[in-house]
Amino acid sequence: MSLNTKKIVIAVIGLFFMGALLIVGGIESNKRVLGKKAYIKVSATSENCVDCHTVTSPSLVEQWRDSKHALKGVGCVECHAAESTDADAWEHEGTLVAVVVSPKDCSKCHADENEQFQASHHADAGKIIGSLDNVLAEVIEGDMGRLSLNGQSPVAINGCWQCHGSVVKIMADGRPDPATWPNTGIGRINPDGSKGSCSACHSRHRFSVVVSRQPDSCGKCHMGPDHPQKEIYEESKHGIAFKAFKQDMNLSAQPWRAGIEYSAAPTCATCHMSATEELPVTHDVGMRISWNLRPPISEKIDAKAIKAGEQVVSWEDRRDNMKAVCSKCHSENYVDGFYLQFDSAINLYNEKYGKPATAIIKMMKAGGVLTSTNFDEKLEWTYFYLWHHEGRRARHGASMMAPDYTQWHGFFEVAERFYIHFVPEVREACEDRIRQGGDVAKAAKVVLAELDSILNREEHMWFLGKMTGDEKARRKAAAEEFKKRYAQ
Amino acid sequence: MFKELKFARVVDWVKERFPVDVEEMKSLTNEPVPNHLKHWWFALGGTPAILFVIQIVTGVFLLFHYVPTPEQAYESVDKITNEVAFGWYVRSLHKWASELMIVTVMLHMSRVFFTGAYRKPRELNWMVGVVILFVTLGLAFTGYSLIYDQLSYWAAMVGTEIAASTPVVGPLAADFIRGGPEVSGNTLTRFFALHVVIFPALLIGLVVLHIVFVRLNGVTQFEFEGERRSRHRTFPLFPDHVLTEAMLAILILYLLTMMSVIFPAGLGDRADPLITPEHIKPEWYFFASFRWLKLTNVYIGIVGQIFFVGLIIAWPFIDKVFESKFPRAELSVWIGFLGFTFYLILTVWEALV
Repeated sequence: MSLNTKKIVIAVIGLFFMGALLIVGGIESNKRVLGKKAYIKVSATSENCVDCHTVTSPSLVEQWRDSKHALKGVGCVECHAAESTDADAWEHEGTLVAVVVSPKDCSKCHADENEQFQASHHADAGKIIGSLDNVLAEVIEGDMGRLSLNGQSPVAINGCWQCHGSVVKIMADGRPDPATWPNTGIGRINPDGSKGSCSACHSRHRFSVVVSRQPDSCGKCHMGPDHPQKEIYEESKHGIAFKAFKQDMNLSAQPWRAGIEYSAAPTCATCHMSATEELPVTHDVGMRISWNLRPPISEKIDAKAIKAGEQVVSWEDRRDNMKAVCSKCHSENYVDGFYLQFDSAINLYNEKYGKPATAIIKMMKAGGVLTSTNFDEKLEWTYFYLWHHEGRRARHGASMMAPDYTQWHGFFEVAERFYIHFVPEVREACEDRIRQGGDVAKAAKVVLAELDSILNREEHMWFLGKMTGDEKARRKAAAEEFKKRYAQ
Repeated sequence: MFKELKFARVVDWVKERFPVDVEEMKSLTNEPVPNHLKHWWFALGGTPAILFVIQIVTGVFLLFHYVPTPEQAYESVDKITNEVAFGWYVRSLHKWASELMIVTVMLHMSRVFFTGAYRKPRELNWMVGVVILFVTLGLAFTGYSLIYDQLSYWAAMVGTEIAASTPVVGPLAADFIRGGPEVSGNTLTRFFALHVVIFPALLIGLVVLHIVFVRLNGVTQFEFEGERRSRHRTFPLFPDHVLTEAMLAILILYLLTMMSVIFPAGLGDRADPLITPEHIKPEWYFFASFRWLKLTNVYIGIVGQIFFVGLIIAWPFIDKVFESKFPRAELSVWIGFLGFTFYLILTVWEALV
């Protein structure tokens, strides 16, 4: 190589090196420090927002500065910008914005997550409108008349909708109706027609995965007397391990796979949504659930779709998905054993309480023994408690390995409600109608006959004092064994 | 005119007080370079030297911010990586230059080995070269341990445990390096002293000695087919060879920068002596040693490696015996080939497991 060629080569590589240094400079000037306050580098419009809101709502801005969005240059208008055709668009300091950020807005960058979410039961949480719970909040507990807010029941606004989601209405001035907004219910119906609210789990304006992976996030809604999943989880070994080893959970890791990035404990997200080495992360929370434990009678999660002639992922495949997660910590036999135990509890609830009680109530409504108005009679409240509160507690308790919720908060109270309240109240209502005579009396007699037939089934016979000889002998032996054990 | 006069007076003033003949220095240093050095693989000796200079410069910058205490080591590396202006770049350059330095030292050694350039009268320089390799590995090991994240901490733990298994002196040596029976704050300060003072000073001395040997013995002469017809068997150091080295230097800077941009130096979780990570692995250049230790028991593992090191150091003399007994067998090439392949197999094996 001649000297001149060498000089040319040096010049060429030198130019490449200068180019590489320019890249270094670019990276340095865009450097963001996660966990530290980010140097704000967003669009000029967003900078204007930040200037004012740093004064008017400083914590909001600070939370955003701590977010990955801020690190990646996603500012205010990137999410809040609106088109003039948007129902909720309004001009704010010279920029057309919308207050409500919908999954449709988020899907501009997070398309896959949105697609999964839209197919999920979470996205349909707003369908509660028209259900029994909704009648409770709007009519029975609340009021949509003179005690309402803009014609909506304060109970629904402050209660149901904050989890299930409101239908956000836009007023003539382009601003949201305060009866429907603020709202972060997961099945919110947004002004742009999209379903859902990402901030239900991800919270704004930090949008941290650490928050959404916390059982507390799910516990905003999945708790309380009718579906205490959060408390059930806390009672289970899973929740105990999480509390003990929370510091080892690596909650901010990306990706976050059980058995790789963490192995101390599972959270709700671990089992229902998060990735493993084989399974991808999903925002469709039903993809690993095999039972629907919400209705009066539990059914497999694909049952409704099958009845409607729809093609969905089968409950067996969903259960296999869940088992794949379980397998990160448990052996195949262990997991199969658990599912046999769990299925047996659901089957018992369905056959012993759910199906008989629901059949009786349907007969009474159809025959006029109960009025057509919901919740105007004691028996309807009793039935509601039976399946909606105690029945769900028993089933959810069994589904997530919480013995006390399955037994004392669950089956014990189901049994008490059934034998001590439901059966006497059915008899009382029927006997009242029989005394009144007419067609309703005939229907009441049929109901009583059905009740009698139910109570004469093997699992209820004890209540009629008709325990079989074998069962009596077994009970006696067990009682003696008990006495003997404690006499030692 | 007036300016030139003034400059000449200044030069005279300096010459009077620093009586060195510049012309003589030029002729002394500007030794003709043999033609075969135009081949790229003969430039590998200069490459680690360039990298060493980069290491010194970037290392000094890192020293401005690094704090060698268990409480602050990790935080200071975190600060360098995430907060200090261009800290990530300087740290990444330091990391990649260290890896490249090991690669080029090994390649240079292979070249010297397979061309037989260690033979008389260059046996001593081969031995100096081998010591340079181990000092370089020492620098890499101590430097990696200073990061004080989980992998770095546990690599230090395993490394010193291996040292402790050395027969006779092992336990004493390991306790001395660690400053106690376990990796602690004492270890960190000792590694720090080794990494920033003792090893670099040693390496500078060894490199100078290495170059002095080269100058005293001259570069080995090789002839390649195409060059036999050339009238000139050498070419000038200035500017020809210097330009080649400059070309290499700027190419290295470019490559290191691109590596730093594409694969910047990362940082794992803070070191926790109570939590052993699931997979402990040393850096890749110790993979072969690590795999060898796993394959054998500790005693054979250590003694075998000490024997291997002794073999490399004494190779020029062993080779002489082979040459006199089997002059035409080219045994050194075959043994070198087998040894190098064995090292590569162990390294790849460990990398894949």
